[in-house]
Amino acid sequence: MEEKPFTTGSYKEFLESGRLMANRCRSCGDVHLPPRPICPRCGGRSLEWMEIQGRGTLQAFTVVHVPPIRLRGRQPYATGIVKLEGGPRISGLILDVKRGEDMNVGAEVEGVIVREEDGAKLCFRLV
Amino acid sequence: MGLFRNVAIVGAGMTRFHNRIHAGKTGRDLFVEAVLEAADSVDKGFELREAEAIFIGNYSSDSFEGQGHTAALIADWLGLTPRPSIRVEDACASSGVAINMAALAVASGAYDLVIVGGFEKMTGKETEEVTEILAMAADALYEVPVGFTFPGLYAAIATAYFKRYCSSWEELAAISIKNHRNGALNEKAHFQSDIMDMARRLGERHNMTFKDELEFLRSPLNPFVAYPLRLFDCCPISDGASALIVASSDIAKRYTDTPIYIKGFGQASDTFSLHDREELTELKATRIAASQAYKMAGVSPKDIDVADVHDCFTIAEVLAVEDLGFFPRGQGGKAALEGRTSLDGERPINPDGGLKAKGHPVGATGAAMAYEMFKQLRGEAGRRQVDDAEIGLAQNVGASGATVVVQVYGR
Repeated sequence: MEEKPFTTGSYKEFLESGRLMANRCRSCGDVHLPPRPICPRCGGRSLEWMEIQGRGTLQAFTVVHVPPIRLRGRQPYATGIVKLEGGPRISGLILDVKRGEDMNVGAEVEGVIVREEDGAKLCFRLV
Repeated sequence: MGLFRNVAIVGAGMTRFHNRIHAGKTGRDLFVEAVLEAADSVDKGFELREAEAIFIGNYSSDSFEGQGHTAALIADWLGLTPRPSIRVEDACASSGVAINMAALAVASGAYDLVIVGGFEKMTGKETEEVTEILAMAADALYEVPVGFTFPGLYAAIATAYFKRYCSSWEELAAISIKNHRNGALNEKAHFQSDIMDMARRLGERHNMTFKDELEFLRSPLNPFVAYPLRLFDCCPISDGASALIVASSDIAKRYTDTPIYIKGFGQASDTFSLHDREELTELKATRIAASQAYKMAGVSPKDIDVADVHDCFTIAEVLAVEDLGFFPRGQGGKAALEGRTSLDGERPINPDGGLKAKGHPVGATGAAMAYEMFKQLRGEAGRRQVDDAEIGLAQNVGASGATVVVQVYGR
C-alpha cells in the first residue's frame, strides 16, 4: 500500500492530510503508533503501514495549570493517554475539558486531528 | 556482573539547594563550592590534584545558562586540566548515572581516585521557561506538543494509580507532609520548615487559619499545578551542586577509616514516552535497576535500612517504594500515611526531605542522594539521623522513568 519510509516526517505528513497512520511488524504483529523503524518487541525490520481509527479509552489524564511557553494562555487544558482500538497508545490533548473532575480513567474518547500553528495534532473528545 | 575491585566514597559535599541564595553564582561556581566541601570532608586530608578524572552530571547548562561543553569548563575551573572530564546527561538522573560511570572507571583499574558530582543553575529563567526546558526531557514530538509537562506526566500516572488501587490524593499529601518534616531537620534543604509552619506563615498573609496540614493542602493556597497534583506535590525549582570523592578500595583507607562502599549499582532504560509503557502504575526501569544493584550487593529489599528515592512529585515516591520492593503494590502511599516511612518508622524514606523539600537542581540530585547516604551510614546526619543505618539505597529517575539508576551503599 503506502511506500513512505517509517519516519517521524512521514507520520506528520499523514497527519497533515487527515490520516492517523501506525505501522505493524510483519514478524510479530506488534503495532506502533507513531511508526518506528525497528519493532521494539521482536527487533523485526519488515514493517507495513496501517491506518488507525481514532476511538479508544482514556488510560490516564491531567489538567495542566502551569503550561510551557508554547501553550501559554491556554491553561487550564486537559491532556491524556489513550489506548486506541487495535492496541496502540498515544498522548493527545483532550478538547473542551477544563476540570479534572469532569474526566475518568476508562472514559471513551474519539480522535480528531486539529491543525495548529505548529502543525497537525492528534486530539481527543470525550464521547 | 562482578567488579574487578571495590569502590568507595571517601568524601562528600553539597551546596544548600535554594532558589534565591545562589543569585549571582553560576553553575561552575556552585560545582566548585560542592567539590571543595567534599575535599575538605575527607578525614585524613585530600588534595584536589590527587583526582585523576572528573564525572559531572548536568542536564542543561546549555538552555539554563547558555553554556555548553561543561565538563572541560569544570576541569579548568577546578584547576585540574589536563585530566579527562566527562559530562553525563540523563535528565534528572544525570549525576546518578555519573556515579555509576565513575564506579566503573575506578573498578576497572583505569583510575584510583576520581571526583563525581552534578549541578544545575535553574533560577535564571522564569517558571514557564523552566517548565519548557525540563519538558525537553520528554518526547518533543509526541508528548510536549500535545500539552504534557513533567508535572503533567506524573499527574497522569497518579490518575491511573488512583483508579487501579482505589487510592486517593490524601496518600500523596502524607508524603509531602513527611518530606517537609524531614527537610526541616536538614541545613542543606531548600525548605527547612514543616507544612504546618508554612501554612501558618502563608495563612497570615492571606488572613486564613488552618486546623491541620490537610486543610491547608486542600485550600486555594495550594493550587493545582497539574490535576490531581497541587503545588505541594511538586519539588521546587532550585539551584545547587553536589560532589563526591570516589576511591578504589585498595586506597580508600588512606583517606578515611570509614569509607562508604558502593556495594551495588544498576541502571535501566524504558520507553521514552510514558504512553508506550505497558503499565502506567510502575516504573519498570526501577525494578530492573534495583534487581541489578541488589544482586551485586548481595542484599534484598528487606536489608535496606534507609533510602533516598526520586520524589520529584509525591506520586513518584509511591511508585518508587513499591518498585524497589519495600512495600506491596498499592501500598506505597498508605505506608507514608501510616508513618511507616517516617524517620522513626520501619523504613525511613527520604530522611533529607527528598526532592520535595530538599530541592531538585536536576543534575545535582543523584550525587546529593549519595551525599545523604554517606552521612547516614557514617552516623553524621545530625537531627535527621536514622538509628543503626548500615545499608542505604539511592534511586534516581530520569524524566518519566525512561532512565533509572540505583545504588546500594554500605559501611
